[in-house]
Parts: sequence; C-alpha cells; structure tokens
Amino acid sequence: MTGPATEPPAAGAEEKPSGTGPSREPQRPQPRRSFLSPFARYTLRRLLLIPAQLVFVLFILYLVIDVPPALTGTSPESLGAIDQGFVHLVVNIFTLNWGTADYLRYNLPWTQVFAYYLPPSIQLAAFALPIAAVLAYPVSLLAGWSRRPGLDAPVRLATLGAAMLPAFMLGTLVLNLIFFNYLDWFDDVPGQGLIPSSGYFFNHNGAPSWILYGLITRPTGFPLIDAILHHDWTITLISLTKTLIQASVVAVAYLAIFFRHARTIVRSVREEVYIAGARSRGVPEQTILWRHAARAVTPSFLLIFALTIPEYLGVQFAVEVAFADQFGFGYLIFAALVQGYLDPLIPLVFLIAVLVLVWALIVDLVAVRLDPRGVMSR
Amino acid sequence: MRHGSSARRPITSGSRRPSRAFPRVETRRPSLGILAVAPLLVPLVFGGTATGGSTERSAPTEPNSDLAAYEAIAERPRLRERWARRPPNLGFLVGAGMLLVYLVAGVSALFVFRGSLDTLPANAAWMNSATVIGPTQAHPFGVMPGFGTDLFDALWRAAPWDLGIVTSILAIDVFLGFFLGAIAGLNEGGLADAFITFVCDSLGTIPTFVLASITFAGLLAVAPGSVGLPVFVAVFGVILWPTMARTVRERARIVAHERYTDSARASGASFSRILLRHIMPNSVGPVLAQLPLDLAPIFFVLAAFPWYYNCQLPGGHPTPPFSPPVPYLVPILPAFSPLPNSAFPEWGYLLGFGTCEAFTFPGNFGYWWMYLFPLLAIVGLGVAVGLVCDGIERWRHFDR
Repeated sequence: MTGPATEPPAAGAEEKPSGTGPSREPQRPQPRRSFLSPFARYTLRRLLLIPAQLVFVLFILYLVIDVPPALTGTSPESLGAIDQGFVHLVVNIFTLNWGTADYLRYNLPWTQVFAYYLPPSIQLAAFALPIAAVLAYPVSLLAGWSRRPGLDAPVRLATLGAAMLPAFMLGTLVLNLIFFNYLDWFDDVPGQGLIPSSGYFFNHNGAPSWILYGLITRPTGFPLIDAILHHDWTITLISLTKTLIQASVVAVAYLAIFFRHARTIVRSVREEVYIAGARSRGVPEQTILWRHAARAVTPSFLLIFALTIPEYLGVQFAVEVAFADQFGFGYLIFAALVQGYLDPLIPLVFLIAVLVLVWALIVDLVAVRLDPRGVMSR
Repeated sequence: MRHGSSARRPITSGSRRPSRAFPRVETRRPSLGILAVAPLLVPLVFGGTATGGSTERSAPTEPNSDLAAYEAIAERPRLRERWARRPPNLGFLVGAGMLLVYLVAGVSALFVFRGSLDTLPANAAWMNSATVIGPTQAHPFGVMPGFGTDLFDALWRAAPWDLGIVTSILAIDVFLGFFLGAIAGLNEGGLADAFITFVCDSLGTIPTFVLASITFAGLLAVAPGSVGLPVFVAVFGVILWPTMARTVRERARIVAHERYTDSARASGASFSRILLRHIMPNSVGPVLAQLPLDLAPIFFVLAAFPWYYNCQLPGGHPTPPFSPPVPYLVPILPAFSPLPNSAFPEWGYLLGFGTCEAFTFPGNFGYWWMYLFPLLAIVGLGVAVGLVCDGIERWRHFDR
C-alpha cells in the first residue's frame, strides 16, 4: 500500500521526524532577523546613549551649581526660573553658546579659550598614553602572573603607595629634581607648559610671532607641531623634552591606578583551564605568558583603560598645574575651583564628559573587535 | 567533617534542643549597631567563599534529611577554625598593625588635645623663615614655619579628624556602592540595573575630584560654612559610589548565574535572601580591590587645592588685603575648602601647604620634612588599608 504522495521538503526547511502522529516537540521561536550586525547594533546603542548621558551629566551639574543659589532667593521668580533654567542650559550647551570668560585676561568666548587650552593637553595625552601603555602592559602581566611573592609583593606595595601619592606632589618633586640640570641644558626652566618660559624668550630676543600672549602657538595650537611647521628646531627640542618629562610623570602616576585593576584580570586568566592545559602539556611558561595570557588579557586591559580614563584625566590635570601656572585644561579647572568661579565649570565638565564618552566608545569598540564576549554582554 | 567533639555528637531528628552547632549557625544575623559596615561584614557573617558561596539552608528533601543538613553545615568551618587552618598572611598582619597604630594615635589625640583639637597652636618664635627648625630631638618631625607649629604635634592632632573623614566617606561609599552594585548585578537587564548602570556610567565620565569639588562648592553656597566638613564627607561618599557599584555589578552578574544561585532561586528563595546570602558575600572581592583606591581622591582634594591656592595661583600667592609683609608664607584656604579655619589640623592640608612652603625656600630639597611626614601619614594609611584588603582577599581565596 502506498501512502499519499508527498512533496519534497523545500530547500532550507527542517525535515520533520518520521512518525505517525504529529510532532510533540515545541515550536522554537525563530530568532528575529535584523538588518544590523550585533556589532553595528552595539555601536548604535552606545551612540544613542551618549546624548542621554550628557543630558544627565548636565542635570547633575545644574542641580549642584545653579539650583542652590536660586533656592536661596526668596522671590517666586527665582524659584520659577529653576525649571526653565535647565532647558536653557541644555540648549545653550549643545549649541556651543557657552558665554564669555570674564575672569581670565582674554575676555573671549569660552569656546575660543577652550580652543587655546585644549591642544597642549591633547599633545601631553598623546605622549603620556603610549608611555603608560608600554609600562603598564608588561609590568601588570609579569607581576600578576608570578606565583612568587618576590615580584608581586614589592610591585603591589609600590603601586599602592604610588596610588596614594597625589600626582601634583610627584610633579613637584620631579620638577625640582631636574630643575638645575634643565636650566643648564636649555637655558630654560622645566615648568611653564610645553613651550619655553617667558624668561627664555626674554634672553633670546623675545617670543616669535607665532606664539600668542607668550602662551598659545599658532596655527594648530599644538606646540610641537607648530614649532616644526615654523622650522624652529630649538623650540621643537624644548617642547619635545618638556612633553616627554611631563608625560612620563603622568604615565607613572596613572600606572598605579591601572595596575591594581589589571593585576586582578591577570590572576583570573592564570586560573583558566586552557592555561592549565598548556602547562600540563609542557609548554614553556614564557610561551604561555606572552602568547596565550597576553592575548587573553588585552581586551580586559582595554576595558580597564576605558573605565579609568576619568582617573587618568585627573592625574594629567594635576601634573599640568604642577608644571605650569597657565597651561592646559588642568589650569582652567583648578583656577576656576579655587577662586570660586563656577560658571565655566559646566561647559568644561561637559567637554570632558564628551571626550571621555567618545574615547571610551572607541576603546570599547576595539575591545569588541578583539573579544566580542566581554563588552557586548554589558 | 568538623574537627572537635561536636562531630561525634548524636543528632536526633525530633530533638527539642538540638546540638549547639546547628542553631548557632542558623541564628547568625548582623546586629543593628554595625549597619554602617554591614556590607563588608556580610561575607564574614554569612560565610560566603569565592568558590561556591554559602549553602542554602532550606528544608532538605531527602529521607535522611536532618543528617544531610547537619553534615552540610558541619563541613563548613567556622571563622576561628578557618583562621587556624589558614592563618592570614604577613601583609595582612602588617596592615592590621599599621591600622592599629593609626587608631591608637587617633584615640589618644582625643584625650591629649582635648579642647584644642581643631586648631594648630602657633608659636611666633618658630615663624621666622631665617631660622627654620628641622627634625631634632625636641621636634622629631621638624617645624612648619607658616603655621608656627611642631609638625609631630600637628600630625597627631590631625589623626582623629582624618580617620573620621576617611572612615565616614568609605562607609557611605561601601554602603551605597556594594548594595546598589549587587542589586544591579542580580537584576541584570531589569529596570533597576538599567537605572543604576546609567547613573554610574554617566557620573563615571567626570573625574572624581572634579565632581566632588564642584558639588561641594555648589552646596556650600546654601549651607553655612560651619557644616563644611560634614557636607564634604557626605558629598564625597555619594560621589564615590558609582565606581564601586560598577565593579561590584560586574562580579554580581557572574555570581547571579552560578549554580548555587540558580538552586536558591529554584528553591523559592526571595530576592533579598539571594542578594544577602549569595550575591553580596561572593561579590566582596571588587569592594576590597576598590576600597584603597577610593582613599586617594579624598586626600588629593584635601591636599591639591591648598597647595594650588597658596603656591601655583597665577599672579602669585594671595595675601589678605592690608596685611603687613611677613617673613613666611601665610597659609590661606581656597574659597570652597571644607576646613573651618586656616589653622585646622588635617593631613592633606598640611601636605599641600608643606609642599608649597618647602619649595618656596631657596635650597631645593633642603626642607624635606615639611612634606615628607604628612605624605608618609597619608601613604601609610593607604598602604595599611590596601594590605588589609588584599590580606582578606587572599584569605578568602586559597591561592591568590
């Protein structure tokens, strides 16, 4: 007896199990197809979150800076302005209408002042971050990997102590340590930013025309690049030396913060099954460390780096003010805080938040590319 | 099995007065007096371990249930037994010893300097910058001419203030960060998790010292200056928690998917019970790792702004209007300082002003004592807390 003719299953359709009765297996919901890859979805989600986070940061700043003075006013108008004030603040900040710097000597719009002070800070960070990475990666790996207390314990103690050492203190010590040698080398003092000091210019026929106010270089604002563009090799050398000295101080101070997190990551990787497996097969310890463990900890190191960027910025600001009286974002923040000028702090912190969020996004995306499991599950 | 005689004690299922071991474990609860440090004590009280967590002591379902339950409990060593089997390492003992020294210094200062604890005594004879007194037998830590005070006396006088500030800030930090981070980790993907993570990530974009300083400066506009220090402590504690919560959440969400947590959930344990008995005891590692790091920004703010205001401010050192010229650096507090007066004993303030004053004198490193001893007091406290935290963490893990 032949059964009813059946059509062959369509291509791609699952073959049903043979049997007489209907299949009792529950129908599994088909995963919803998306036009975007998981990586693109993750990137989009993070990008959409950034404006919301910035508005929340502004809300907190508004709450602690603008609301308390309004609350002290007894008139109903001052209280009524509280709710409207936040909307105005958000609109002004996002449209770069940040007001005028009335407490600095320039009397310029804040956007212009920030444009003057941001490039030297970026130049310092561009040197400090690679130095920190070159130092942090092997030291964290070696110290975290070692089972002997001979290496781990001293490094742990040293970093603990260094983490407690305020960065301005380290900057002051280094500055005074190299002061007289530096004076002999360049006929200049090691402080006062990333360009030669006013005393140097006084002894060498004044500041060149491309250095505004004796502080700000043109056309790019980056002292090193501008010196190279103007073929002024003496200033180039001085700027490079100053940048390297300050960047090394920033890197060492930041290393203490980074190491404590990184060590925990290395410890956890050391206990992984594949590491134990490699060791049991007789793979040399150095090969396991530098080929397997080093590769495994890289995404986690990047994540730590993304999480500790604000701490890094704090360190850099302190070193900036230790080495100079009017230089970089550190000066703007410290000068505003100690003198009680809270107005510039809202755009300043907003700018820092933008920098941190964008930088953290870039680092996270690199980490996702290296290991999608870690970040995309967050 | 447990050591000692209790292992040989017969257990009867219908006993009205069970053996000592059974009810003692069941009735362990944190007392109300230790609420401030409850999060850190949770793992010790409930006995969580890094590898498996505390066992859920619900009613056993096996026929020989009492015996199984007894054995399950009896195999878990108590605190004293764990201490005996695995004594803490040298680092922990050194750290605990250092903390004890700090505690003794702080408590003794309360009695020795009763009535004048909040002001540094000024001796006009020591304010002469031409004859600066270094460390001698009479002044073991030297003299700070700006304050006109003996540095040993100043650091001792400051000990109770600093220990109080640090303890209060860290208590708020741990209390909020540990609880909220654990809740977020357990409620992964939920509304609470989304809200806590959003707040943490947003506030985490601003350097801690900047946010704390701005918040404090803003609140000081409405608060009277006399409450500056309590406001500073509250603000700093609240500002620090997102960092703690983020690290705790990462660990808590791993613990939330462990088998023992799933078992507890399947056996009907409530959210709060899972949180208190499984998630928090097994998520204490990040708290111990983060705690010493949270000390640093506190002293940074207390030290950096006095240093900057007295030393680095463009235009030179600010002097009070119409003040006669003096042969020493006059200590002045910045506009938003939490300290009530410019002669207040506080380690960060002493370090900031000492650094400024020492490098103001000609002679480069010749006046090292002015910043070295305050620095040692601060670094020593951080190292002590770090060693104790690391020691506890190593003690919880066999290997680490």
